[in-house]
Amino acid sequence: MELLYKNIDEPGLNTIAVYESHGGYQSLRKALAMDRADLIQELESSELRGRGGAGFSMGKKASFLPKDKMDKYLVCNADESEPGTFKDRELMQKNPHQLIEGLIIGAHAASANCAFIYIRGEYDYVADILDAAVAEARAAGYLGDNILGTDQSLSLVVHRGAGAYICGEETALLDSLEGKRGNPRLKPPFPANQGLYQGPTLINNVETLSNLSHIVRMGAKAWSELGVKNSSGTKVVSISGNVQRPGNYEIELGIKSRDLIYGLAGGPPDGREVKFWFPGGSSAPILTAEHLDLPYDFDSMAGAGSMLGSGAIIVIDDSVPVVDVALKLATFYRNESCGKCTPCREGTNWTVHMLERIDSGEATPMDLDIMASVQEHITDHCLCVLGDSMAMPISSMIKYFRPEFESHIEAARHRNDLGAPPSPHPVEAVGSAAAGPYTSVA
Amino acid sequence: MPRPEQKMVTFTLDGREVSAIENSMLVDGAKCVDVEIPVFCYDAKLGQPVGACRMCLVEVEGINKLQTACSTPIREGMVVNTESDRVKESQRAVVEFLLINHPLDCPVCDKGGECPLQDITFGWGGGTSRFIEPKRHFQKPLALSPLIAIDRERCILCYRCVRFSQEVSEDYQLILSERGAHSFVSTFDGHPYVAPFSANIVELCPVGALTSQAYRFRARPWDVEGSGSICTLCPAQCNVTLTVRDERVLRVLGRDHDEVDDGWLCDKGRFAYQAMHVGERITEPLLRDGGELRPVSWERALQSAISGLTKAAGRTGAVVGGETTNEEAFLLQRLMREGLDSPDLDSRPGGALALDLHRALADPALSATVVDIEFAHAVLVLDCEPVDDAPILDLRIRKGVRRKGVKLAVASSRPSSLDANATLSLRFAPGAGEALVAALDAALSGTGDVDGLAASAGADVDQVRELAALLSEAGEDVVVLWGERLAHGPRGDHAVRGLLNVASRLKLASADGAGLLEIPSGANGRGLRESGLLSNAGPGLGEPGREGRDTPAIGAALAAGDLTAVYLMHCDPVRDFQDRGLWNRALSKATTVVAHAGYLTEGLIEHATVIFPAEAYAEKEGTFTHPDGRIQRLRPAISHARGVRPEWQVLATICKAAGLEMTFHTVPMVFRALVDAVPFYADLTLDEIGGRGMRWQQTAAAANLPTASDRAPYQLTAPPAALTPNGSLRLGTYRSIWAGSEVAVSPALKFLIPHQQVELSPDDAKRIGVGHGDRVEVTYDGAAVNAQVTLRAAVPTGTVFLAEATDSQPANLLTNGEPRLVEVRPA
Ligand SMILES: Cc1cc2nc3c(=O)[nH]c(=O)nc-3n(C[C@H](O)[C@H](O)[C@H](O)COP(=O)(O)O)c2cc1C
Ligand code: SF4
Ligand code: SF4
Ligand code: SF4
Ligand code: FES
Repeated sequence: MELLYKNIDEPGLNTIAVYESHGGYQSLRKALAMDRADLIQELESSELRGRGGAGFSMGKKASFLPKDKMDKYLVCNADESEPGTFKDRELMQKNPHQLIEGLIIGAHAASANCAFIYIRGEYDYVADILDAAVAEARAAGYLGDNILGTDQSLSLVVHRGAGAYICGEETALLDSLEGKRGNPRLKPPFPANQGLYQGPTLINNVETLSNLSHIVRMGAKAWSELGVKNSSGTKVVSISGNVQRPGNYEIELGIKSRDLIYGLAGGPPDGREVKFWFPGGSSAPILTAEHLDLPYDFDSMAGAGSMLGSGAIIVIDDSVPVVDVALKLATFYRNESCGKCTPCREGTNWTVHMLERIDSGEATPMDLDIMASVQEHITDHCLCVLGDSMAMPISSMIKYFRPEFESHIEAARHRNDLGAPPSPHPVEAVGSAAAGPYTSVA
Repeated sequence: MPRPEQKMVTFTLDGREVSAIENSMLVDGAKCVDVEIPVFCYDAKLGQPVGACRMCLVEVEGINKLQTACSTPIREGMVVNTESDRVKESQRAVVEFLLINHPLDCPVCDKGGECPLQDITFGWGGGTSRFIEPKRHFQKPLALSPLIAIDRERCILCYRCVRFSQEVSEDYQLILSERGAHSFVSTFDGHPYVAPFSANIVELCPVGALTSQAYRFRARPWDVEGSGSICTLCPAQCNVTLTVRDERVLRVLGRDHDEVDDGWLCDKGRFAYQAMHVGERITEPLLRDGGELRPVSWERALQSAISGLTKAAGRTGAVVGGETTNEEAFLLQRLMREGLDSPDLDSRPGGALALDLHRALADPALSATVVDIEFAHAVLVLDCEPVDDAPILDLRIRKGVRRKGVKLAVASSRPSSLDANATLSLRFAPGAGEALVAALDAALSGTGDVDGLAASAGADVDQVRELAALLSEAGEDVVVLWGERLAHGPRGDHAVRGLLNVASRLKLASADGAGLLEIPSGANGRGLRESGLLSNAGPGLGEPGREGRDTPAIGAALAAGDLTAVYLMHCDPVRDFQDRGLWNRALSKATTVVAHAGYLTEGLIEHATVIFPAEAYAEKEGTFTHPDGRIQRLRPAISHARGVRPEWQVLATICKAAGLEMTFHTVPMVFRALVDAVPFYADLTLDEIGGRGMRWQQTAAAANLPTASDRAPYQLTAPPAALTPNGSLRLGTYRSIWAGSEVAVSPALKFLIPHQQVELSPDDAKRIGVGHGDRVEVTYDGAAVNAQVTLRAAVPTGTVFLAEATDSQPANLLTNGEPRLVEVRPA
């Protein structure tokens, strides 16, 4: 069933004329005619869960915003920087009005009159497309004051980020949008209470908002019958890695993972097997070939110890050493850590150092224990979940592939002619590092 | 905003029932029962917690993840566990993480022995590390500024220093550069971190990453003792702990008092302790002998002073500076009035204010406290610049605006550093404060000629109206922080009447959190007045017996030969007062000039007959009265430098020689006598004042304040119109925080000595044909000041500003306390 991807490759769908010819902006009319409370109710009963990673109920989040009259904001998270995730790009590039229509509906639900699309700087050409679409929507009276004669007014600005993964984290995004350095904020207060410029703010992912026009059009009930319990609707899944047909696929949630990876994406190249896969972007703990028969939905992925996350599947086949993946992944998160909180800042860096030694054969199996323990010390202890985003997949790799890590060390040690394995670590004392040249301050 | 009510709630901590303030943070609540939860990034002084270090994780029942105790507000019935295995493991983990890049060079680290990282590692860490990778390296130590050294290897990236710069002092200079494991503290532009409050970050830093260049390697914590006192360098009178080693003060730390300083110090207060131990300090009596000041014995110095003073007797004047204690003031006024039979004494440099007005201003109902600034609905900063005049109040105002939603209005002649925080900033002509308050009074009362008065003030009438609206509509708690300079000059009485009218229109006397708060020109200005050092008031603002000459009149009488001797207690009129020409004539004409001074300044070098060495404040015992009426104790931390005697004893000796009966053996005895003489101090004892001070307004004896006979609203007379800058420019002056001998002789602070500069608006500069950095000559009636131009866009066109008390090219060559127009031309 295609909703978001319906007509997606039709030339000109990014223009308002073509979009409207398929019934575009009719849902907006319907939504604006609805009472705010009813609209929120409708969104809640659709059971739409956020598509940006956390999977929180969209309607519920909208209902958290205070009802008082004040400046409220809606922010669309289009930072899409999670490795393996590239669905928002296609949605915005090919069908920007679907997002804009959903965004105005969301703003009506939240009674926000000021909206932003925060788009990652690298998507510059997509931002141009959005800008053009926003101008069209404004000219058509869908944005601006008193939209379609109602009391709903909305300004919409497309804001380009400067290229930092952390700015996808919702509070860092808000800081960045305010012109500050994008560092996560302490929660609470949650954005729904104090977000952009301290005002109540609803933040949703591109795909989440793109769904709204369909929910309004079909009615929550019909929409929620798509998919399975707790995972209603369709999902655009980005499949990448060792598959024959990488790309975005819109599916109904709950189909078998194997049908996705093998059926839609063609599976690994001939002669190769799926070794493991990330079901929800690079921050999701890995699953193995054993899990291929699980239904692809929020609960099943969580039940297997991972998560659906942003719905990006990265497939790794048996030609790829797990250590390579671990090192690449840890390095990414080390580089992207904002450095504000201790466990993530120090833990990601330490993990990279350990993995480098593992890769070059300078480690011992004991380092794997230390590395696993460091991941535990990061998990759940950070200010935002970027730390966990490295720790959880790395933990899962050690869990499933410890023997491979050990043999990788052995092989590298022989290859690099490092002699006998080093004696157990001097865990009691830390060798004092040579200090650099001291400059006098006097 | 009025202070929030505090509700007590009960929660469970490690199995114990604890009662704590609702919504206070868990770390603070835990302290109520002596449970310490380790923290690095949290400090209540820094405002909202940031939850960065993750050291304070604890278990809260009903929440899955561990929570940061620094940011978890206490709620009724909450159940908290700080001792579970899960908590302990997370604490060990964070310590391990923090130490992986820490050099552990404690043996050579200044912080060693008083280091939270050491303490927390010892108390909560695992004792071992599993980290064997290379640590981060930085060049170290580097000079973050001439005052502060930074060792980036030791830094644990707790954000405290950065938050101070960004959110407390708002100088916005410090940031964390780079990100992740590469983060390091720096200034955003790479320039040195120079700001009035910069070195607070040394005290805030929980490790040895930020150290004081002046204290580096001078002592270890076990070599030193701490001694509590107050800083006497400005009216803010911050509470300090002096670090003492071998009878030398090596460091000044804050002694947090949230009703005085909020735990901060300015860099002057923090580093000017060095002035106590420099060669420039006067440590023995000096006597003019053959035209030169030469060291002499105490006996000889006392003898000459006594004979000079007793010879002049009733023809002696006394002028007193702000560093004089209440006890010294009390003795000096007795010496003058009773011993020498002279009524000519004053502690206000700008001319007398009617006694009735002193009394009206002192009315407890009308007096605001420092804390009121923070919780007010609106604060008006009037004719003062807090960062220069009482620096620490600048931080309090910023805090009120940033965290409590205080509406700030600034009314001043010179652009203020608070303008950026103010809802409204209004400029008026230098010296036209009287017209400004009269205009404000008229706007508030709805009667009178607001337009005409605003024009007389050189102010924009719409802004005056806006200010009136802001103040009357903000809410009942309005605090007016005003500078003594408003009440200076021959029309000071009129200005104060206008101010009292404004206070009465705004009903400041009837709201608890509202009132007036004056920043006096001397550190103990308020105490000196209340101890009787006024030409028109005795101790306790009582009738003086005989009214005498005020400061300018003393100068004039000396110059005219009507007075022949002068007692200069902690002041050099030539350097500090308006009208340098007059004071040079006055002092050269005087036959006897007795001075108490710590350092030789130009007027004393030229004119003093006898100089007694002044005590450094760390040597001194006595009391000071804070601008909000808090009597605070000065406690000796070190013994007197060789050759220096307690000044109260010097005064007592001279009193006795002048025939007064004096049976004081100690400072507390003098204090007792002072309290007996000041009826509204009657309830104060040194014990009760203790280390935290006590506001006299809060004692029952406050009722003994003599009441003013005449009350606001007063009938105001028309103020003189501000001079019109017809090609010439209005001259305004200000005194920088860095002006003064203590700064000039402290090696650490020397780089901050203010040099004369001419602040011009771009328009005037263009008209005159000069640019930024060009030299110009500012002249009045033949006298000239020659200095470089500083262009400031915010300076109103038609006005030029000069700094007071600079090392050279003094502004008081051109001033006499009345508004003047000066010529500015390229030099
Ligand atoms: C490090 C980090 C990066 C994130 N990046 C993105 C992103 O690029 N796009 C996105 O929609 N959500 C991202 N999120 C999730 C957002 O914080 C937030 O949960 C989401 O935008 C909420 O929208 P939703 O409820 O519609 O999913 C990120 C979260 C973290 C912790
Ligand atoms: S978890 Fe990492 S990215 Fe998130 S706040 Fe902490 S240091 Fe920054
Ligand atoms: S220098 Fe000190 S105060 Fe600043 S971040 Fe580092 S450890 Fe914290
Ligand atoms: S503000 Fe004043 S009292 Fe406080 S430290 Fe600075 S000079 Fe001393
Ligand atoms: S003290 Fe709580 S996180 Fe730092």
